[in-house]
Amino acid sequence: MSLAVGDGRFVSLVGPSGSGKSSLLRAVIGLQQPLSGTVGTDLVRSQLGILFQDDALLPWKTARDNVALGLSFNGVERSKALAEAEAWLERLDLAGFGDRFPRHLSGGQRKRVALAQVLALKPKLILMDEPFASLDAIVGARIVRDVVALVERQGISVLLVTHDLEEALSLSDEVYLLSQGPRAHITQHYSVPIPRPRDPVHSRAHPVFAPLYERLWADLSREVDRRAEAA
Amino acid sequence: MLLDPRHAWMRQLAAFAVLLSVWEAAGHTDILNPLYVPNPSRIGAALVDLFSNGRIWPHLDATFTAALGGLALGIAVGILLGVVAALVRFIAELLEPVMTLLNAIPRVILAPLFVIWLGIGLASKVALSFILVAVLIFFTVFTGIRQVDRRLVERVVTLGGDRWSLVRHVYLPSVAAWVLGNLKIAVGFAFTGACVGEFVAATRGLGYLLSFAQSTYNAALMFALILLILVVVLLIFGVAGRVEKYLLRWS
Repeated sequence: MSLAVGDGRFVSLVGPSGSGKSSLLRAVIGLQQPLSGTVGTDLVRSQLGILFQDDALLPWKTARDNVALGLSFNGVERSKALAEAEAWLERLDLAGFGDRFPRHLSGGQRKRVALAQVLALKPKLILMDEPFASLDAIVGARIVRDVVALVERQGISVLLVTHDLEEALSLSDEVYLLSQGPRAHITQHYSVPIPRPRDPVHSRAHPVFAPLYERLWADLSREVDRRAEAA
Repeated sequence: MLLDPRHAWMRQLAAFAVLLSVWEAAGHTDILNPLYVPNPSRIGAALVDLFSNGRIWPHLDATFTAALGGLALGIAVGILLGVVAALVRFIAELLEPVMTLLNAIPRVILAPLFVIWLGIGLASKVALSFILVAVLIFFTVFTGIRQVDRRLVERVVTLGGDRWSLVRHVYLPSVAAWVLGNLKIAVGFAFTGACVGEFVAATRGLGYLLSFAQSTYNAALMFALILLILVVVLLIFGVAGRVEKYLLRWS
């Protein structure tokens, strides 16, 4: 299986549950060994950012310290790392929240801190695994809008794993459909010609959205049915 | 009648005063034998006596030194062994059965043995406090490290942290949190160890005074000492609670 994420492109991976979408991401990062074969990217580890569904902030560190952590791992001096962390918090609408511990932040705020943690490392590619699934509709929509604006501006590539077809289409330039696992493979590839900069809410009203959604929905349903037949 | 929960302490205090008065009054009749249950006034007098002639200080000093020494050593060694056992499988295989055994028995039964080994001085009391605390802390740390949140470990690794970063930013804070969560129990254990050690054989200490009071049938002194130990441990609980609250302010 080969999957290309071009520079500055937003690519989504959708598929039935059990098709191994998350495992694929974990293998790319090196958190999980693939069952067979090898996984490789042309990027080094420090150019990869990761955003998972749980924010996994260190509970005993303040928001600012959490953001500065990755910077100091990469050799940035502490005082500079803290200043940079603060700047990222401000960029993500968290000015004044730097001294709070994760427990004293809302779910949306924690997600923003996790995002600042990733963006502060200036990644070339961000891997996202259902990062917005646990958020309230409005809170989630605002964070998604900010994420899209930030990655567009910084020219960051994104590989998003999601089961939400609307999310995939409204955010992405390209969508890949995975077949039913085990031994899942890429069955379809869709281009989403909605122009950038994009507003994720408005892009749902774009004329190409509905037909693409219909197609994607039909293809995914067929995959799920195939599974049912095989069983 | 409406009972304001904010004034509960007033009602508790009033009830306590009533209890003391009834107790005191009963002591002046034939209902309570002062040989076994002395009046509150006599207990108070015994307490004042302990402090006014200054003879309590060496005993307080002995018990505190033994308890705090055992506590500090027990925490240090408990953490060390717990961490090593959690990281090195071979060590865990050797240590776990021993610790499980020590955890299963009432460890105070070791007191006479420590007296034979270490004499009737301070060392045997420190040793008893130490063994009570160390086993508790060992299990706290050992099981705690195995239950460290995997997501935090993965997070630090994906942010570029190495092994040492994991220890410093994930394992150590987790260990500290578990130990602090058990600090009050450990303080209680440490004083239990010191006092029981002094019962068994000693020339000084609150436990020694208690055993002296017993052999002289001095119930007033006994009550006074029990009260004193209660206050001492409560004070230390207060300090431990403050420390815990400050260091765990993130939780």
